[in-house]
Amino acid sequence: MASSPVSNSHASSAYIHVPFCIHRCGYCDFTVVANRDDLIGAYLEALSKELEQLKTQRKLKTLFLGGGTPTYFEEKDLERLMELLGEWFSFEDDYEWSVEANPAGLSSEKVRILSDAGVNRVSLGVQSFDKQVLKFLERDHRRTEIDEAIHNVKKLIDNLSIDLIFAVPGQSTELWKETLQQAVSLGLQHVSTYGLTIEKGTGFWSRFQKKEFLQADEDTQYDMYRLSMEILSQAGLSQYELSNFARPGFRCLHNEVYWHGEEFFGFGPGAASFLAGKRRTNHRSVTAWIKKNLSGESAVQEVDELNEEDRARERLIIGLRLCEGVDEQKFQEQTGFKLEELSGKTITRFCDMNLLEREAGMLRLTDKGRFLADSIFVDLL
Amino acid sequence: MKPEFIRNFSIVAHIDHGKSTLADQLLLKTGAITEREFKEQILDDLDIERDRGITIKARTVAIHYEYEGNMYELNLIDTPGHVDFHYEVSRSLAACEGALLLVDAFQGVQAQSVANTYAAMDAELEIIPVINKIDLPVTRVDDVLEEIETILGLDPYEALKISAKKGIGIDDVLEAIIKRVPAPSGKEENPLKALVFDSKYDPFRGVVTYVRVVEGVLRKGQKIQFMKEAENFDIIELGQFCPEMKKCDSLGPGQVGYILSGIKELDRVHVGDTVADPHNLPDEALPGYQTPQQMVFCGMYPIDATDFEKLRLEMQKLSLNDASFSYVAETSDALGFGFRCGFLGMLHMEIIQQRLEREQQIDLIQTAPNVTYEILKTNGDVIKIDNPQEVPDSGQIDEFREPITRATFIVPANNIGTLMQLCEDRRGTYKSTEFLGTDRAQIIYELPLSEIVYDMHDKLKSATRGYGTMDYDIIGFKDADLVKLDILVKGNRVDALSTIVHRAVSEKRGRALVKRLKKEISKHMFEIPLQAAISARIIARETISAMRKNVTAKCYGGDITRKRKLWAKQKEGKKRMKQFGQVEIPQKAFLTVLEAGQDE
Repeated sequence: MASSPVSNSHASSAYIHVPFCIHRCGYCDFTVVANRDDLIGAYLEALSKELEQLKTQRKLKTLFLGGGTPTYFEEKDLERLMELLGEWFSFEDDYEWSVEANPAGLSSEKVRILSDAGVNRVSLGVQSFDKQVLKFLERDHRRTEIDEAIHNVKKLIDNLSIDLIFAVPGQSTELWKETLQQAVSLGLQHVSTYGLTIEKGTGFWSRFQKKEFLQADEDTQYDMYRLSMEILSQAGLSQYELSNFARPGFRCLHNEVYWHGEEFFGFGPGAASFLAGKRRTNHRSVTAWIKKNLSGESAVQEVDELNEEDRARERLIIGLRLCEGVDEQKFQEQTGFKLEELSGKTITRFCDMNLLEREAGMLRLTDKGRFLADSIFVDLL
Repeated sequence: MKPEFIRNFSIVAHIDHGKSTLADQLLLKTGAITEREFKEQILDDLDIERDRGITIKARTVAIHYEYEGNMYELNLIDTPGHVDFHYEVSRSLAACEGALLLVDAFQGVQAQSVANTYAAMDAELEIIPVINKIDLPVTRVDDVLEEIETILGLDPYEALKISAKKGIGIDDVLEAIIKRVPAPSGKEENPLKALVFDSKYDPFRGVVTYVRVVEGVLRKGQKIQFMKEAENFDIIELGQFCPEMKKCDSLGPGQVGYILSGIKELDRVHVGDTVADPHNLPDEALPGYQTPQQMVFCGMYPIDATDFEKLRLEMQKLSLNDASFSYVAETSDALGFGFRCGFLGMLHMEIIQQRLEREQQIDLIQTAPNVTYEILKTNGDVIKIDNPQEVPDSGQIDEFREPITRATFIVPANNIGTLMQLCEDRRGTYKSTEFLGTDRAQIIYELPLSEIVYDMHDKLKSATRGYGTMDYDIIGFKDADLVKLDILVKGNRVDALSTIVHRAVSEKRGRALVKRLKKEISKHMFEIPLQAAISARIIARETISAMRKNVTAKCYGGDITRKRKLWAKQKEGKKRMKQFGQVEIPQKAFLTVLEAGQDE
């Protein structure tokens, strides 16, 4: 194969998408297949093909295995996947290798396979500790399984994060508060909290259209988000991004690559890469992605090409998701644009409204601005 | 063609009584169109007319028919049917000697049958009553004959019974035209006088002037003068509509046709003007027409300010072909540069707006329509108000006058109560009731124009399950207790939302209006008070609370493109709104003024 954006790049981060799951939950709009274990072999083979684009082994700073549920694989497949990644990637000294996992079925053995391969961070899809909420979200795990999974992970991997979902129909503010308190009591290094959104194409979308349930109102969503900020920060998990909270030194380095506008590889169905100023997204259809790779074709479905100005604007709004904000000097070095030239007036207007603030060369969302980030981003585009 | 073999006639009818079908049937019968062409309504050549099944512009066609051994030339001058276009009806009638009054065999005489008959009588035309649709399974021919006698005062024994759709009785119609419509009275030897009864702009040939020769002869190549401007031109082409344009060498007294004289600007040709021979000018011009009076006005603003010049150009083009549409540039604090446009009525307004948006693809913000008001100022001046923004301070107003109509309704007898309630609610003054047979009645009210232009027709239709019809004439201006109702958005008066209302309903209207606006304007990052005010007095208030949370939870590598596209789309959407202060007001909000009135 001739030189490609992948072979030419010196990116030091990579994302691998593993689309398999035991069940597609009602809110999930990721590239996921359930009940298609027959595709696992072909998937691994196709991934191996796709990784060949790298040509040489790469030394990474961050690697992220997302899904789907990477740990859904049986032990032997999980080992094969780890072996494959080991062939293509080595790591710098202070590297981070994250793997997403579900509490149900996360055995000590699987954790050992991950740990042996070099995985040093696990992100656990807990979502909630409440039976009713879990049921609504169509999650198959129970509280005991959560505790067991956490126990299994902690024996070998100390950097553990959990995901929690709020604004779930039927979930009261009080219940959310309890969920947060329970999360705090687990002594974790990292928590992500996500307000439930109902995306087109999901099971929830059609149920919502049929008015089978109502979305939480704006005031409730506001209160819940506010609670996340208060309770988690009081417990030493300070907010560093709109949805992410961490103890000092435990931010997710891989995700910071996205928000800093740095380059990364992407492999697997639906995975995106960002190389040489272009974001490429692979086919979301698992079978199409397999077919393309096995026949030696590119599995890229969409190339997002932006002119320099639009790219800079995107860089600005993505960067503003971080609580520390955007470093104005670095922004100019990275994009060639001064913030002032790009959106000076709009920025001033939002500063006047106390939604943005500038301090020591950094532009960031204010506390109030975090709640209205999307509205601000629209005007900055 | 000798005048004795020429007949000029119109067809007048209530909407949907089959006027266009009869016109086409006459063309078919005389070989002017083919069977295939008959399937379309030939005479409606604007898309919008076909879409709506109504005729807007007057059209004309010369047909040839042999009767008792002589070849006759019958000129049909088609007229619009809708109440908004009365003016064009009377214009067409002035070029004729006779009119076919077409009445539906089931529906009978309706409000516009009455109005059009009176217009034909005013023009001293021979009227031939024709009962159409006699092929319908259910008809009331005898009742309809009686209505023709009692309501219209026409001889029922002279009425023809036909079906234009099935082609029944068409020969009788042609015979009646020849026998009963008088031949034109002009003489070839008299000095030339031809009436300009319409004109249109053709992008390839310039202005096409529609004329009816009254006296003398028009000849190809001759010099002509439009008497009003005393400007001379050469006739480049002369012809008739058959129905397409067909050249000829001359047009004699009574003949109807067109002139091409290389004129590029339509405003140089005045409808109602007289065409004469500059070397042999007549003593006086033909009486012509009154200028049409626009009674409904609204602001039209391009959403994209850069479309302003394009809009001006298109409005100019439209006004060329439609003397009854006017436009004047104006500015609004809220909407920027645009135009104040005048129309004959609401339908006319809708049609113009659609043509601009659909055919020219200019996105418009249209403000709520208003009628023309008259104000007697304390200093004795009388001013016309087309725009609520022009209303002077109340201290300067002695009388605030509004246009009053005499409205004629024909409704089923059991709907009289509902209709009267409707009229009373709209400040009507009762005039008379006359029963038409046992089951229908004609009711006359004096009603302010502002109370009927917007939705009276719809309300009448729903109150009478579609059976009621109406027509109106403006009879003058009358003093009323009117006030300007202003709307303040976040403390700023939005001029384009101001309206003129009667004081008695102002509070109710103000409340309905801010409530409606609350639904149209989406939440912002700050609170938006909406207030209705008369002068400095706030009479109603609503508040749009500030948006509290709007943040995407997940935004990782694969999400960025999708999210950015979503936000970019929202940004595009915002561009289509008008920014007023920091508040984005969607297009639709400017029409809420209208809808709020309907909520009451």
